[in-house]
Amino acid sequence: MRDETLLDTLKRRGISRRGFLKFCATTASMLALPPAMAAEVAAALGKVRRPAVIWLSFQECTGCTESLTRAHSPSIESLIFDAISLDYHHTLQAASGHAAEEAREHSMKQDWGNYLLLVDGSIPLKDDGVYSTIAGISNLQMLKDAAAGAAAIVSVGTCAAYGGLPHANPNPTGAVSVSEIIKDKPIINVPGCPPIPAVLTGVLAHYLTFGAIPDLDDLGRPKAFFGESIHDRCYRRPFYDQGKFAKTFDDEGARNGWCLFELGCKGPTTHNACATTKWNGGTSWPVQSGHGCLGCSEPDFWDGGSFYKALSTPISPVTGAAAAAVAIGAAAGVAIGLANRQTKAAAKAAHQKATIADLEK
Amino acid sequence: MTASLQKGINALREVLDAPIASYFSSCVRCGMCAEACLFYTETKDPKYTPIHKVEPLRRLWEQEYTLTGRVKKMFGLSKPVTDEELEEWSPLVYDSCSQCGRCSMVCPVGNDITYMIRKMREGMAISGHAPEGVIGATKRTIELGSPMGIKLPALQTQISKQEAETGLTIPIDVQGADYMALLSSMEIINFPEYLGALAKIFHNAGVSWTLSSEAFEATNSGIQIGVADLARDIVMRIVTAAEKLKVKSVISPECGHAFTALRWEGPNLIGRPYGFKVVHILELLDELRSAGKLKTTGKESEALTYHDPCQIARRGGVVEQPRRLLGDVAADFREMSDPGVWNWCCGGGGGVSANDRAEHLRLTAFKRKKAQLDALGVETMVTACANCRIVLEEGLEHYNMNVKVVGLTELVAEHLVEQEAGK
Repeated sequence: MRDETLLDTLKRRGISRRGFLKFCATTASMLALPPAMAAEVAAALGKVRRPAVIWLSFQECTGCTESLTRAHSPSIESLIFDAISLDYHHTLQAASGHAAEEAREHSMKQDWGNYLLLVDGSIPLKDDGVYSTIAGISNLQMLKDAAAGAAAIVSVGTCAAYGGLPHANPNPTGAVSVSEIIKDKPIINVPGCPPIPAVLTGVLAHYLTFGAIPDLDDLGRPKAFFGESIHDRCYRRPFYDQGKFAKTFDDEGARNGWCLFELGCKGPTTHNACATTKWNGGTSWPVQSGHGCLGCSEPDFWDGGSFYKALSTPISPVTGAAAAAVAIGAAAGVAIGLANRQTKAAAKAAHQKATIADLEK
Repeated sequence: MTASLQKGINALREVLDAPIASYFSSCVRCGMCAEACLFYTETKDPKYTPIHKVEPLRRLWEQEYTLTGRVKKMFGLSKPVTDEELEEWSPLVYDSCSQCGRCSMVCPVGNDITYMIRKMREGMAISGHAPEGVIGATKRTIELGSPMGIKLPALQTQISKQEAETGLTIPIDVQGADYMALLSSMEIINFPEYLGALAKIFHNAGVSWTLSSEAFEATNSGIQIGVADLARDIVMRIVTAAEKLKVKSVISPECGHAFTALRWEGPNLIGRPYGFKVVHILELLDELRSAGKLKTTGKESEALTYHDPCQIARRGGVVEQPRRLLGDVAADFREMSDPGVWNWCCGGGGGVSANDRAEHLRLTAFKRKKAQLDALGVETMVTACANCRIVLEEGLEHYNMNVKVVGLTELVAEHLVEQEAGK
């Protein structure tokens, strides 16, 4: 099984070459690669031997795994997961106890330096990390051990990428993200609570095709998926531009599908691919179902105040103070204008008609 | 001998008008004007970036007309404009700016940098920082009537010579003529053929015209040096003479900045509209051509090109007329790179040709024109500005280039279908 290529595996699962090429073209387009690259993606992915992947889960809710594996129907995306040699995954593996940990250690030894490490969940640091241990080993220790032999690390979900919910104020376990602990390995953050399955498969496809990690933004996210804000790609954007907003969840505006900005949508400050990729096989996404974006792919999204507070609505109506400020500003403008006119008038008054004698000292 | 820093600063304060204030506040410091300026492109010296040439003016504006500037000045963060600084800027304002206007064309925020440098000269001149050559030309214009010191007798000599050559009478001081023609000193001294060409063309077209013995000089050194008071006096001579002769139009000669001075700056200087129209000779020739009054025969067979004088094409809008006229008399007209409003200056406009100090820089800047001509490979260049013509000839001689320079009006006159003289 280990020597089987990805294409072989897919064939065995009943996926046609046409279906595979379609997936490659879609992935290439999602990664913003030129169309000609689809063939290269297909060629590389078809040939690739099943790469070893170790998946560690720390302080998490299993939502990420659920998102990535419980697709509505078995998709090629999910089969990509089947095609990789997932040597260790708490939730999915059949083995338990010592056998499970032995499998992890065995895989690490066999592919030292080459395996891909996927992490979901944050890592507690407080009180020597006692808040989360597996087989008696603290998350911190397990991460450090596994990271040492990894070719690259993918932080799956907001908890692993930025600390997420465990990291939220007051953060009783001292939870931190992977990137705060591991500094010497390439780390790709695929945040989201949970992340979009296609984004993770796209990142894996990129890594398998090019043998390198994709272009990342300043928060370590692949630019291809996190380069644009939800707001810029939202189908309700025209209503925002026209100033048409839903004021409550059951008013005329809400029924007409107007912009949810005033109901607390965090689309303008959130970078993710939801608005274009959508969820559940392209069925829908939060804004389409009538709820604003929570901003789950951004750091500290839990601590940004209420999910229902608009991003920048004045906290109180424009008051006398604001009116006074405008009046003072206008008065100052007029005063400066008058002063400048005076300067100029004085200069004009001081003008003496020039003659040719005035050209030299 | 009463130039002083105080007068200069006061003049700068006076020229700071709404357009200049908005130009300074909208400048985004992109530096695109540098690439448009041939004094920068041929030297690659960043001090020749056009907007940098008005830096003292900018600082004065900031210090006296803006809040941040006032605060900076209060805390000594912005130094006052000094005599030494203006002296240092003199070569930037006079030697390395031919007022060609190319920088104004490329400015992405629409700043007319040429206008700013023109205004900056007001403060430079009156504080005694204008170059000697330009001061001399200005003095001669005021005292003798022309920057080259040409007086009426010299003109009269050239008139009789041209009358002998063409067999036509050249009218002078004719009351009620339709057109009053002006000349530039360069034409009187170096290219008197222009006068003969006018006589021939007007005779054939039946145009009623005259010269004026009181105002035959079109050039305006007051504008080049940047002293509005003197420029006004010089424009006023022409206005007075034209209104006295009751002509309908005044013809600006083949001289670039004379056209700018008379057509655009003049009415603003004297503060009222003229009682006559101002046309450039090329505009008039083109009108006569359209009316069928300018018939030519035969065409120059050799390849030739046209050098657009900045003030006539870019600043004056006369672009199509010379090409239509050339189409009639040239069989093989070849357009230079960057023609029309994008032309590259000869390097000697805006007083630079009168400025001995600038000679080396001017010849360096000429490399641009040289490159254009080398790429084209023609041996005849037509132009319509006597100043361009002199500067081009000097440059061609300096670089040992075998290119002949011809005035467009003369070229047209050579191909005129002539009626017999005296008819």
